[in-house]
Amino acid sequence: MVTDSITNASIPMATSNPKDFAKKKRANRSAKLKQCKLDARREQWLSQVKNKGCKEEADGLVHARDASEEPRREKREVSIHHYSDSDSPSNSPTSPTSSVLGSNSSGTNFTGSSRGSSSSSSSGGSCSGSVAGEDDDGCLDDWEAVADALVGTDDKQQQSNPSSDPPLVQLGSHPELGHRKGSGVEISRPNLDRVEKVQRATPNSRAWKPDDAFRPESLPNLSKQHSLPMNSGRQYGCGGGVWVCKKVISAPSSCPICCEDLDLTDSSFLPCSCGFRLCLFCHKRILEDDGRCPGCRKQYEYEPVKGEASLDGGSVTFRLARSCSMITRS
Amino acid sequence: MNSTGMSALGGGGGRSWSSTTSVSASGKRIQKEMTDLNMDPPSDCSAGPKGDNLYHWVATIIGPPGTPYQGGIFFLDITFPSDYPFKPPKVVFKTRIYHCNVDSTGNASLDILKDSWSPALTISKVLLAVRSIFTNPDPYNPVIPGIAHLYLADRAKHDELAAEWTLRFAS
Repeated sequence: MVTDSITNASIPMATSNPKDFAKKKRANRSAKLKQCKLDARREQWLSQVKNKGCKEEADGLVHARDASEEPRREKREVSIHHYSDSDSPSNSPTSPTSSVLGSNSSGTNFTGSSRGSSSSSSSGGSCSGSVAGEDDDGCLDDWEAVADALVGTDDKQQQSNPSSDPPLVQLGSHPELGHRKGSGVEISRPNLDRVEKVQRATPNSRAWKPDDAFRPESLPNLSKQHSLPMNSGRQYGCGGGVWVCKKVISAPSSCPICCEDLDLTDSSFLPCSCGFRLCLFCHKRILEDDGRCPGCRKQYEYEPVKGEASLDGGSVTFRLARSCSMITRS
Repeated sequence: MNSTGMSALGGGGGRSWSSTTSVSASGKRIQKEMTDLNMDPPSDCSAGPKGDNLYHWVATIIGPPGTPYQGGIFFLDITFPSDYPFKPPKVVFKTRIYHCNVDSTGNASLDILKDSWSPALTISKVLLAVRSIFTNPDPYNPVIPGIAHLYLADRAKHDELAAEWTLRFAS
C-alpha cells in the first residue's frame, strides 16, 4: 500500500497511512518517505512565516518522491519550499500533540503575541538543532529514528481521530479546513493558505477534535505557540534545550537572596510592584519575618499581585489554579 | 503532561534538592558574595573569610583621602548570622576610630545594619556604606554624642582629633 502510493504520485504519499510506514520501516522507500515527511515538517515550520507558492510545493512533491536525497540536503540546509506539500500531511500528526501539550502548560512561558512567527521559529529551531550535528550520511539513520517516533505519534492521532480515514489521515484530518478556506484542492495541499491552515488545524486537531471540528480556526494563538514548543521538546530531545534557553533569557537566573536557581514557577513570580524578583522560598521566609520586599523595603501586598495576574488574561488561567501570585511573563 | 513539560523546561527539582542538602541556605549566598567581592571589589575595601569559617569575615577599609581618616587602615570583623541574608551581618571595627557613629567597642551604627537592612543588600554594599561614614559622619544619629557635638560645633577640632587617632591606631 505504501509503496504503491509512493511510486504512483505525490498525493498518495501524503495520504499514505503512518501505520503502514511503521511496519515497513526497514525498507529504503519507507525510510526515505519518512525522512521526506520529517523534512517537510521541519520545512513547514521554518517556512511558516514565509509565503510559499503552491507551484513550488507541487514541484517539491514530485521531486521528493523521485529523489529523496536532494530534498533532504536542501531541507537540512535551511527550509526549502519543495517539501511543503508533503509537509502538510506530515505536519498534522505532530502538531496535534503539540497543541495538546501546549494549550495547558505552555501558557506561562511565552506570550501569545505572534503565534505564527514564534511558533514557527521555535519549532524550526528545535528541528534544526536535532538535525544540525548530523552529516548527510548519518542523518538518514537519525531521521529514521525520529520518523519512527513521529509515526508513533501519527498512530496515536489516528486512534484519537477515528472519524478521519486512515489512509488520508495526514490530509484527511483537515479536509474540512481546505473546503472552508477554499485554499486549494482537497488532495493537493492547500496553496498559500495551506501553511497557515495546516499548522493551525493540525496542531489543534488532537486537542479540539472531540469538542468541535471548527475550532482550529478560532483557537487562540497562545495555545498553539505553547503547544509547538512543548511538542518539539517531546518529540526531539533537542527541542527542550532550545526552550530552556529561551526561558533563561527571559528570567533572572538565580534568586538574589539565596542564590539558588529560579525555576519556572519562581521566574514567573512577581510578588511586589517594584519588580524585585525572588524565589518562593525566600519570599515565604520574608513573609514569616517582617514581610518587606527586599527591593523596596515596602510591605508585601497581596491584592496587587492577584490583580497583576488577572491582567495577563487568558494565558494565565491555568497558572492561577496553581498559585494566585503567578503571572505570565512576556 | 504539563508536569513533564515543565520539568523539562524548568529543572525546578534541582533547587529544592540543593536547598535541602546544603548545610545552610546562607552558605551559598555568602560564597557567592565572596566570589563577587573577589571579582569586583569596592574601591579601598577588601573582605574575606577569616579562616575556614565562612560566616566570619575580616574586612579592611582604607581611610578615604580628604578626610581625617586618610592614610589609616581600618580592620573590621564581619559576622554573618546563620539566617543571613534575612538578618543583617554584624560589623565591628577592630581598629579604634574617632567617629561619632562608631561606639567604643567598635560597633558601627548604620541604619542598613539595623532596621533598614534588606536581604538584597550585600557585603560589598555594606562596606561601601561603612566607607561612606568616613566621609560623611551622621552627627544627628550618633552613638557617641560628644564626638557628634564636637563635629557640629568645631569641625576643625574634630578633624584634628580624628586624624590623631587615625595616626595612632590605624597606621
